[in-house]
Amino acid sequence: MRLVLALALRDLLRERVQLICNVSVIAGVLVPLMVLFGVKNGVYDALIGRLLSDPSNLQIDTSGNLAYSEADAAEVAGWAESGFVTLKTRSLFDFVNVKPVSGGALRDAVIAPSGAGDPFLPAGATLGPGEVAVSGQLARQIGVSEGDEILIATQAERPRQLVFRLRVSAVIPSERLAGRSVLAGIDKLDLIEAFYDGFALPDHGIEDGRPLASRIATYEGIRAFARNLESLAALQDRIETRFGVSTEARTRQVEATLGLGRNLDLALVLTATVACIGLAAALLFGFWGAIQRKARVMATLALMGIGGPRLAVFPIAQALVSAAVALVVSFGLFLAATLAVNALFGGGVGGDGMVRMSPVQVLAIIVAVLVFVLATSLAAARQAQRVDPATVLREGT
Amino acid sequence: MRSSLHARQLSTTLRSPERGFRLEVPDFAMEAGETVGLTGPSGTGKTLFLELLGLLRRPDPGSAYVAERPEGRLDLAALWGKGRDHGAATSTRGGLFGFVPQSGGLLPFVTVAENVTLGQRITGRADPAHAEALMERLGILPLAGLYPAALSIGQRQRVAIARALAHRPPFLIADEPTASLDPATAAEAMALLVSAAREDGAALLVSSHDVGLLERYPMRRCHLALVPGAPDLTVSRLAMDAEAVA
Repeated sequence: MRLVLALALRDLLRERVQLICNVSVIAGVLVPLMVLFGVKNGVYDALIGRLLSDPSNLQIDTSGNLAYSEADAAEVAGWAESGFVTLKTRSLFDFVNVKPVSGGALRDAVIAPSGAGDPFLPAGATLGPGEVAVSGQLARQIGVSEGDEILIATQAERPRQLVFRLRVSAVIPSERLAGRSVLAGIDKLDLIEAFYDGFALPDHGIEDGRPLASRIATYEGIRAFARNLESLAALQDRIETRFGVSTEARTRQVEATLGLGRNLDLALVLTATVACIGLAAALLFGFWGAIQRKARVMATLALMGIGGPRLAVFPIAQALVSAAVALVVSFGLFLAATLAVNALFGGGVGGDGMVRMSPVQVLAIIVAVLVFVLATSLAAARQAQRVDPATVLREGT
Repeated sequence: MRSSLHARQLSTTLRSPERGFRLEVPDFAMEAGETVGLTGPSGTGKTLFLELLGLLRRPDPGSAYVAERPEGRLDLAALWGKGRDHGAATSTRGGLFGFVPQSGGLLPFVTVAENVTLGQRITGRADPAHAEALMERLGILPLAGLYPAALSIGQRQRVAIARALAHRPPFLIADEPTASLDPATAAEAMALLVSAAREDGAALLVSSHDVGLLERYPMRRCHLALVPGAPDLTVSRLAMDAEAVA
């Protein structure tokens, strides 16, 4: 086998024109496809990245007057399409005043339910019982950072405000959470709602009011986050069907972007298919023709005792070496094209440039090209095996 | 024990819708060290006979064809597989025979030296000293680093002779080895072929149209001639020299 491989390589080196032709044909098809694929990746990833940079694009809020229980939230959280799910209190009570314990500016802010898995929180972050996260804008305006303590107070007095003293566990960047916002556990919002509903909260210094034990906790809505962008429409549909309510989500915008990606994929697949059919024909007949021209060489090797599958290695090895050289050339040209395109247009799609390809995609392209070229060389391999060694004796030069 | 080939009632038939062709070898034997010349008019199947002996053509059922070697008897007629399968014929051919084609049959992409040692590498009988000695004897050692394209036709034939003998096959088959050479070069090539095979102890079966050239060397002769057959079948039969003369 090693001898046949060595002979195949020697012949390929001697037939440099044939090698250059095959490399040019493969690279001529591969490089434009790779650039197209890279551009598609770059543009699409940038659009998806923009969507994912704002967790609101995964968010679904129920509307209407239906009351929800913790069991309802647990049911939604158990669905495959769901990510983080929380109950919501009445939006009427969403506004609070916030200021640092150490003193300083007081600002009003919106308080929203949050918890472990909330996409607004940093990856892996949780909110402890005495913790909240605040938006970057609010943190800047009241002068707090992670670890500082803040006071959160209701805007109404009964006759005094309900006040929480909490530690800032995270400051959410403005591009993820806009405005002046506080993310807190649902228990805090539930207490605020109970406060406004006139219940006594002796643990927080509110002595007057109905006993809290008589309160039946129900919630105005559910806020659910889809597991990913692709699950948003399905989750919205499932929530609306299950609870018979309408919901609010950025489904149309997300679906439009996903649809664009699917259409780009389809266009790329169609282009690649047509190109690959042409490439397959060119390579198949190229390899087959080469073996036809080298029938005398094949016959000589068979005459001298190399037969069957060992002879088939000859064209296959030449094809795979051609493919390997073509891949090196193609990735070189792709790199040059990437640098040029990113230099010209990269600024418009974020820091990673307009043409992008992941290592996994590079590996997949390498494997696909080698398999593709191997397949196109099989006809030549079969032809090599069928060469009659007696032709060396029968044919003169 | 010297190696030898023995064929009895050996035949091969080429099928054709218009008219078939059968080559019949009633009795043939060849022993290492001897030279056998094959003659016959065009169309009598000289090359087919060489192919049949050289395991390039499947013998008809019922054929007897064996090789006697120091390591034992080998039934060459039984090597072939079914259909297009050459079975063990290909690998056996490489070790048992050396071939000198009419045009040299050299690989154009390797050097003279690599062409000469090719048979050694294929059969696993590496012997650089023997290959060098052969090239020296055939006067091609100075050409060892050249590629075949740089050689004259006569030089290529010498390389082909060296290649055929380099792996020390017991049998050498040469098909019209001088047909494409001018008379002087042909005589020189034939002399080298006969002497090299003899010095290496190989049996040489050489076909040629040039009876005069063959007659210059001591050798047994065999002859192919057409014999009456069926209307749709041309039959050619081998006869040894005494029968051929008759």
